Amino acid sequence: MAVWEWIRFIGGAALILLGLSIFFVEIAGVFRFKYVLNRMHAAAMGDTLGLSACIAGLMLMNGLNFTTVKLLCVIIFLWLASPVSSHLIAQLEVTTDPDANEYEKIQDIKTIEEEGKENKNE
Amino acid sequence: MSKLRSQKDYEKTSAFRFWQWLSGEKDPYIGNMEMKEQEVFQESPIVVKEREIDHIKLHNKIYDIDHNKELKLFRIFYRISAVLLCGVIMAALIICVSYLPETGNPNNPTVNEVAERYVEKGTAETGVINTVTGMILNYRGFDTFGETCVLFIASSCVMILLMVSEEKLKTLPKNLEPKDDKILQYVARIIVPVLMIFGFYVIVNGHLSPGGGFSGGAIIGSGLILYSSAFGGEKIRKFFNENVYKCIKITALIFYGCVMTYYFYTGANGLTNIFPLGTPGNIVSAGMIFYINLFVGLEVACTVYSFYALFKRGGL
Repeated sequence: MAVWEWIRFIGGAALILLGLSIFFVEIAGVFRFKYVLNRMHAAAMGDTLGLSACIAGLMLMNGLNFTTVKLLCVIIFLWLASPVSSHLIAQLEVTTDPDANEYEKIQDIKTIEEEGKENKNE
Repeated sequence: MSKLRSQKDYEKTSAFRFWQWLSGEKDPYIGNMEMKEQEVFQESPIVVKEREIDHIKLHNKIYDIDHNKELKLFRIFYRISAVLLCGVIMAALIICVSYLPETGNPNNPTVNEVAERYVEKGTAETGVINTVTGMILNYRGFDTFGETCVLFIASSCVMILLMVSEEKLKTLPKNLEPKDDKILQYVARIIVPVLMIFGFYVIVNGHLSPGGGFSGGAIIGSGLILYSSAFGGEKIRKFFNENVYKCIKITALIFYGCVMTYYFYTGANGLTNIFPLGTPGNIVSAGMIFYINLFVGLEVACTVYSFYALFKRGGL
C-alpha cells in the first residue's frame, strides 16, 4: 500500500505543479499582451486549465471520499461558468469598442464564403 | 558610498526601471496597451456660479423664506435642537463608556465567561454543531433580526427611489432587456436548478456545517440573477413577480420576529417551548434555529435579486 500512497502523492504533486506553471504563463500573458482579447485569452486559459489541474491534483492527494466529489463539482462549475463569462465580456468588447477595426477584422459570412470559393477555383 | 557605475549606465539597468516603477514615477503599461487615460471632467466657473444662483432662487421660490416667518423660526429652532440632541446623545454615550470595564483586562467577563459558555454549553443549550450559527441566531438573535430589518429597509428604499410603473415595465426599450444569447441560455438552463438546490442545501445545513441563511440566500439570489439576465424579465416574472416578492419578504420578517419573541419570552420565564432540540447532527434539530435560517435565507435571496432587478430595469 505504501507504493500506492507514493504514486498518488507524486501524481498529485505533478498535477499541482502543472497547474501552477500554467498560472505563471497566464500572468505573463496578462501583462505582456497589448490587446484586450489576447489578454482575455490568457486569463481564460488559467481559469479553466490551471485551476482544474490544481484541483485534480488535490483530488488525487485526498483519495476517494465526499470531498473529492465536491471538488469535481467545483471543476464542472468552473468549466461551465468561466468560458461563458469570457464569451460575454468579449462580445461586449467587440460591440462597444470604437477602434475595434484597428485590431481585428470582422468579416461577414458571405465574404468568407466567397473567399473559400475563390480558393477552391484556384 | 562609492558608485561603481556612472548615472548614465545605471539608468540603463533593469534595477533602475524597477525602482522607477516601484516609486510610481513611471508606469510601463500606460500607453503601451490600448487603454486610454480618462479625461478629467471640467466645468467653467461661470457655469458653476450660475447653477448655484439658480439653486438658491428655486429654494427661495419654493419655501418663500422672506415672507414666511413661521418657517424662519422653525428653521432656527430645528438647527438649535439638532445641535442639542447631538450633544445629549454624545454625552450619554461618553458617560456609558466611562462605566465600561477596562479594555484588555484578563478578568473581564467578556474575555472569560461569555466565550467559555459559548464553547462549553453551546451545543447542549441550542442543539447546534456549528457554534457560530448558535451564537448569531440564538444568543444574539435580536441582533440578527436587526440585520434582517436593515436588508428589508434598504430594499424598500431602493424601491421607493427606482421603481417604475407596471405599464412602463412591460414596454421597456430593447437595450434594457438581455439579448437572446444562446450560449448563456444553454448554460443557465443547466446551472440555475443546481444553484437553487445548492443554496437550499447551504441554508438547511446551516446548523451543522459552515453556511446558513445569509450565504445560502445569496446563492439563491445569484441563481435568480443568472436566470433573469439570461432569459429576460418577462420569463422570470412568471414565477417571481412583485406579489411573490412582497409575500415572501413580509412573511419571512414577521415570522422571524414572532419566533424570536416567543423563544425569548418562554426562555426568560422558564417555560418549555414548542421547538424540540432533537439530537444534534440531524437535519431537523436545533429548535428554532432551523426555521430562522430558512426565514433569513428567503429574505436575503429576495433582497439580492431585487437590488439587481431594480437597478437594471426599475422593477421586478
